[in-house]
Amino acid sequence: MTTFLVTVGIGLSTAAILSLSAVEFTLEYAVSRIANFAHGEFLTIGAYVAYSTQTTFHQNVAAAAAIAAAVGAVAGLALNAGVIEQFRGRSAITVLIATLGVALIAENVLDIVYGAANVSYNFAQGELHHVGPFLWTTSDIEVIISALAAAGLIYLLLQRTRFGKAIRAVSQDRSLAQVSGIPARRIVMQTWALAGAVAGFAGFALADTVGTFGPLLGFNFLLLTITATVAGGLGRPYATLGGALIVGLALQIAGTYTSSAYEFVFAFLLLVVLMLFRPNGVFVRPSAVAVRA
Amino acid sequence: MSPPLLEIEKLTKSFGGVHAVRDCTFAVPEGQVTGLIGPNGAGKSTVVDLVSGFGEPDSGSIRLAGEPLVGKRPDVISRLGLIRTFQTPREWPNLTVMDNVLLARRRFADESLWRCLTRARRIRRDEEADRAAVRGILGRFQLTAVRNELASRLSGGQKRLLEFARIAAAEARLIILDEPMGGVNPVLGARIGEAVRQFAGEGRTVVVVEHNLPFIERTCDQVVVMDLGEVIAQGPFAGLRANPRVVDAYLGMDQSHA
Amino acid sequence: MYWVSVVTEAGIFAILALGLDVVWGWGGDFDLAFYGYLALGSYLTFVLSIGKPKPPVEYIIGWHLPVLLSIALAVVVVVGVAAVVGAIALRNLRGIYFAVTTLGAVSALYLLVENYTPLFDGYNGVYGLINPGQSALNLTYNGYRVMFLVVVLVLLVLAYLLVQRLSRSPFGRMLRSVREDERAAAAYGRPVFFAKYRAYLFGAALAGLTGGLFAIFISAFNPSAWTPQELLVIYAAILAGGRGNPRGVILGVFVVYIGFIELTRYLPSPASRPDFGPAMRQILIGLMIILILRFRPEGLFRERPGLDRTPAPASQRVAAPTGARSEERGTSERATREEGASKAARRRAGEIN
Repeated sequence: MTTFLVTVGIGLSTAAILSLSAVEFTLEYAVSRIANFAHGEFLTIGAYVAYSTQTTFHQNVAAAAAIAAAVGAVAGLALNAGVIEQFRGRSAITVLIATLGVALIAENVLDIVYGAANVSYNFAQGELHHVGPFLWTTSDIEVIISALAAAGLIYLLLQRTRFGKAIRAVSQDRSLAQVSGIPARRIVMQTWALAGAVAGFAGFALADTVGTFGPLLGFNFLLLTITATVAGGLGRPYATLGGALIVGLALQIAGTYTSSAYEFVFAFLLLVVLMLFRPNGVFVRPSAVAVRA
Repeated sequence: MSPPLLEIEKLTKSFGGVHAVRDCTFAVPEGQVTGLIGPNGAGKSTVVDLVSGFGEPDSGSIRLAGEPLVGKRPDVISRLGLIRTFQTPREWPNLTVMDNVLLARRRFADESLWRCLTRARRIRRDEEADRAAVRGILGRFQLTAVRNELASRLSGGQKRLLEFARIAAAEARLIILDEPMGGVNPVLGARIGEAVRQFAGEGRTVVVVEHNLPFIERTCDQVVVMDLGEVIAQGPFAGLRANPRVVDAYLGMDQSHA
Repeated sequence: MYWVSVVTEAGIFAILALGLDVVWGWGGDFDLAFYGYLALGSYLTFVLSIGKPKPPVEYIIGWHLPVLLSIALAVVVVVGVAAVVGAIALRNLRGIYFAVTTLGAVSALYLLVENYTPLFDGYNGVYGLINPGQSALNLTYNGYRVMFLVVVLVLLVLAYLLVQRLSRSPFGRMLRSVREDERAAAAYGRPVFFAKYRAYLFGAALAGLTGGLFAIFISAFNPSAWTPQELLVIYAAILAGGRGNPRGVILGVFVVYIGFIELTRYLPSPASRPDFGPAMRQILIGLMIILILRFRPEGLFRERPGLDRTPAPASQRVAAPTGARSEERGTSERATREEGASKAARRRAGEIN
């Protein structure tokens, strides 16, 4: 029983990071109607930025996190202006491939700058704590708390602020929102900046959790992100949080009882299964994407 | 009265608690043009979707020449001899006009991957006969000059004509037209009316769903009127003006989209 | 000899691209699992022909079949796997959903192969298929490589002829109509799933075959040969050459694989960063993908539908050349007229997805 709960505990920490990544992925989809396959790069950049600052800022967690988020925001803005907006009106697959191109570029730029070998991010993990039945390090707790806080802030942002309302309007119908007086382009830009920032922060948290990583960190995490998003339903931020939880837990549980290397295999098989039976998210009744012929 | 080609009995379909079609029953006689009219929300398009297999009814039966259609896929139903159009012309944009109409000839046996690899020469020869026929059809619909253009390049009116060229090429038993007059100018409208009567003249059965009542009056032998998912009247167009239920549903038959 | 190697590799990938184009270009399905079929074909060719594994190396099967038979069997198995994947993914999923599902499937396979060593020795992979039949044919090492190049090029020509024939046939036309508008295709009696499925299996067969060829070419196969980065290059090549156009696709592969490799070979690599060259190449490919999609999404050679040529009256008819050539003459007139059309219309015309 304890193993199970310990697993769940670790799973919560991964799920927390996953939920941040997935919520942003789904917001990007909601506001620009695309699947951003360069999304993982926001995390990778955040991770590398944190790595670069670890010497400069002497293990100052807050600084590393803040800078990761800031650089992520810039990356989000750049991607939106440079690619996403350029491809407005094109098919979703076209943009998907374009973002794959961006991911390819980003990964190799990082390869050139930092080298292909894994770098290690050494933050003191802190001692272990028993929080109820779970076993967490101080770092884990920090990650979970900050993820929860971020999720809470996002919720407040989407529900309580005018910005949030504008995002929801734009994601429903961009031209209609524009005509109703919402500066759609600016809202989209700001959403991307936010997405980049949160994803950058998630990258920092991920670096903190895994310790060593390479240029492919974010891309590998991307499929997990997509799985979580699909589980919740593309374009549904709150359901995505639930989806991330499901995926994060399923992952860790499966991984403990076989071997952690196969975690990802399970995750991707889960993705395939989800796509078959619940392409619109587990919380919604399925409707076919193709013609029945 | 000719025997019915299409029989619809007690057809029912709801979407999320709303009855789009309720206990709908009517028959379409063979070789004639039957109109299907009714105010917005009457359920006409839903009936068309159900008949052609793009959706399954909750209950009821649909028979084409005695053959039940419910539960069959749309391509299977099409191969039983049904061609339907959609409210907006759905041409294949990146194929040529010629290819668009050739595809309507539906030589399914020749579309086998294996045969196309092994018997390419014979298939190409057989295709010549089809091409000749299609060239004739394109001529009828004034599309000869654009036959090698991509269908996406056509004007709206030409796309409508392309649609009819495809229907003509398909030589179907039952043709269902879903609002063929949408956004169509009077000249084109007259040509469409001619085409519809010509199909009937060839012994085909046509069902026309339309809001344009003068068009219905000109082309249809009889009319089925629907309102709120049910059939409220059937018969020749002339008789409908006197039918109080029909008048009620339309709030005045003179409100027509000319 | 360097050039023999480069052209052989490009030739193999050109065949692969022809197969992928059937699924993606004609069928409109962005199949990210495609490269997985090549990988599977490669692995199987090895484990069917290099005999029992010597510990600590481990892998399944381990027979000692003649290599040609191994390739044939590998193709059969690959088509079998594709039959399962296709039956699942093609039924209800399109667009991004299909892409993501296939990506999930191939990633699962990749990780399984990498971690479950009894399969194909995990990260180490399989090796040992060095110039099969070289001594039987009485060739030197280099002689064999040249012969293999010729074999690959011959196969490429055969594949091209086959694919071109299929492209111009009713099947090709029908498949494209399904891509263009599924509803309309179904309304005209086309079995949408079955059409895509057949194309999918055909493509997978070609992928399995190229897997076998690749096994001979490279004499070893492991996960580093089919990372996501590797995968993307073939898609970039098809984009550059022109989706839906077999000639364009082949050209795209040669341009990207040979052109880009040559372009970046002469880039200086600082001592501290030995993979500067390869990394720059990937960056350039990424840039190319974005630029092509933005400014010329239909690629170098856009898809060319067969044009209708009214046959001349019998008295004037000379022994006609094959349909392809007469269509080409019509196409050049068409092409010049098309150049005059507006850019937006061109882009729309090439927007095949």
